[in-house]
Amino acid sequence: MSAVAVALRTRRRLRGRAAVGAAILVILVLVALLAPVLAPHDPNAIDPSRVLAGPDASHPFGSDALGRDVLSRVLFAYRVSLGVAVGSVLVAMAVGIPLGLLAGYHGGWVDSLLMRPVDLLLALPALLLALSLIAIIGPGSGVALFAIAVIYLPILARVVRGSVLGVKGEAYVIGARARGVSRTGCMLRHVLPNSLGPAVVQASVLMGFAIQIEAALSFLGLGAQPPTPSLGLMLADGYQVLQQAPWADIYPGLAIAITVLAFTLIGDGLRDHFDPRGVSR
Amino acid sequence: MSTRTRYIAERVLLAIPTLLAMTVFVFLLIRLVPGDPVQTMLGFRATPQNVATIRHQLHLDEPLLTQYIDWMKGLVHGDLGRDYVSHAPLSELLGNALPVTLELTFLSMGLALVIGVPMGVMAAARPGTARRLTDGFVILGVSIPDFWLGTLLVLLFAATLVWLPPSGYTPFTADPVGNLRYMALPVLTLAIGEAAYIARTTRGAMDQALGAPFVTFLRAKGLAERSIVFRHALRNASVPIVTVAGIQFGVLLGGAIVIETLFGLPGVGRLTVTAINQRNYTVVQGAVLVIATLFIIVNLVTDLLYGWLDPRIDAGAER
Repeated sequence: MSAVAVALRTRRRLRGRAAVGAAILVILVLVALLAPVLAPHDPNAIDPSRVLAGPDASHPFGSDALGRDVLSRVLFAYRVSLGVAVGSVLVAMAVGIPLGLLAGYHGGWVDSLLMRPVDLLLALPALLLALSLIAIIGPGSGVALFAIAVIYLPILARVVRGSVLGVKGEAYVIGARARGVSRTGCMLRHVLPNSLGPAVVQASVLMGFAIQIEAALSFLGLGAQPPTPSLGLMLADGYQVLQQAPWADIYPGLAIAITVLAFTLIGDGLRDHFDPRGVSR
Repeated sequence: MSTRTRYIAERVLLAIPTLLAMTVFVFLLIRLVPGDPVQTMLGFRATPQNVATIRHQLHLDEPLLTQYIDWMKGLVHGDLGRDYVSHAPLSELLGNALPVTLELTFLSMGLALVIGVPMGVMAAARPGTARRLTDGFVILGVSIPDFWLGTLLVLLFAATLVWLPPSGYTPFTADPVGNLRYMALPVLTLAIGEAAYIARTTRGAMDQALGAPFVTFLRAKGLAERSIVFRHALRNASVPIVTVAGIQFGVLLGGAIVIETLFGLPGVGRLTVTAINQRNYTVVQGAVLVIATLFIIVNLVTDLLYGWLDPRIDAGAER
């Protein structure tokens, strides 16, 4: 098979992947929204008679070390995780996109002034930056959201700045300026909409990783605090009873993996759509 | 001065302000804590006298700039300060923890390259089953959180098969075999996730290289496919592979924080987490400083390797 044929087939498969990812994500969001309806039990109800009890008809995912229903806890924890993930990326976009747009469009000293501090955030490994912020502010779900947003801000700002640099030289932008559209109008009406593609791809991939980071922080005891049901906390508790009750650990982990998978599939498909030549892969 | 020398000098000079800015951040870390950091740090031991002593020892009662200069002077002499819980010098604590983290990250990256590069090459050179398998491996490797993968590996290799210990540590110098047995699961955990990224990058870069005109020319010349793939295309694809391996090293350093905690390895990552939970700010400061410095050095080395591998830099072409 020629390289071109392989590339074309891969491309079709990737489009299909994005659809699969989107379908999984829709189901996951519905599950998160409907958690109170879907959960068969109270997620925090302690039942001494069911300590580490295995899965059965009324508790399909079994029970944890305090006899709490793992399925109900996964459903409620999932809401927290998804909320933190989506929230952090939205905050990072709200700050990062304008920064990247202004820096890329104006260039010169505006660029240096805005991007130098942003770049410094990239001088620390992401998780270490999050931990440092938590060390300063103290642990919690809100702090985790903020910390993840700070990690993502420079990435999104960089991506937007990069595509703005390309778009601002396009003929239609120069044409709009020649037609008498103001600099700001040009930036908002022509440059911004045409520069968002790569940022959207990046955001979808980052959302998947945000779920992982949130879980990692909570797993370390630095994210969501008990009694908030959190996937990371469930994994930390489940690890203690791994041999006696593997279900207390496997299901929350599976929930994270499926979510990241959905976002990865969507990101792959979108990247292919915005970047058909695969330059950035 | 040749273009290459200028490139190297430029990269090294650029790393200096980054390092300085990082030290400012780490220095401010303890001073940005809301309320009184010394009070928080000492907890129930915070008698007015203790607080005053520690504040004086940390020079928190002096002007900010003087504090920073003194702290930097200490750093230059290898004096990172003292842990106010165990009273041990930080250089000693970090000196013991750093080799563990370095062993974990370098072994993981090595294993990830050993798994990922051949997978990517196979996927690009032999479309079909190899490509589909690599694609599946990449998607799973990227999606599964490393600490959960670690848990699954513990469940399989430590709890069910009882081949390897679930957690613990022995120094390599004391017992090399024991050390590697303890390291096996954490290294495998980190390597699988990394291998997925390396495989994806290798496949993409090899796809491009194998489609390039120089490969068509080599084929027309009648060169063996094996030689084209490994000698020519892979050399051409090595630039993005090295770049991604360098970028991923930072992710590995982050991953090590969680994995060390999971597997009970006494590295810098676990030291950081324990210190944050105990609000032991001086230790947090030292550990963050060490990991961040390592990260900046690795980034610099990646940049330099990139310059060495990409001959266009020598010719002075635009990157």
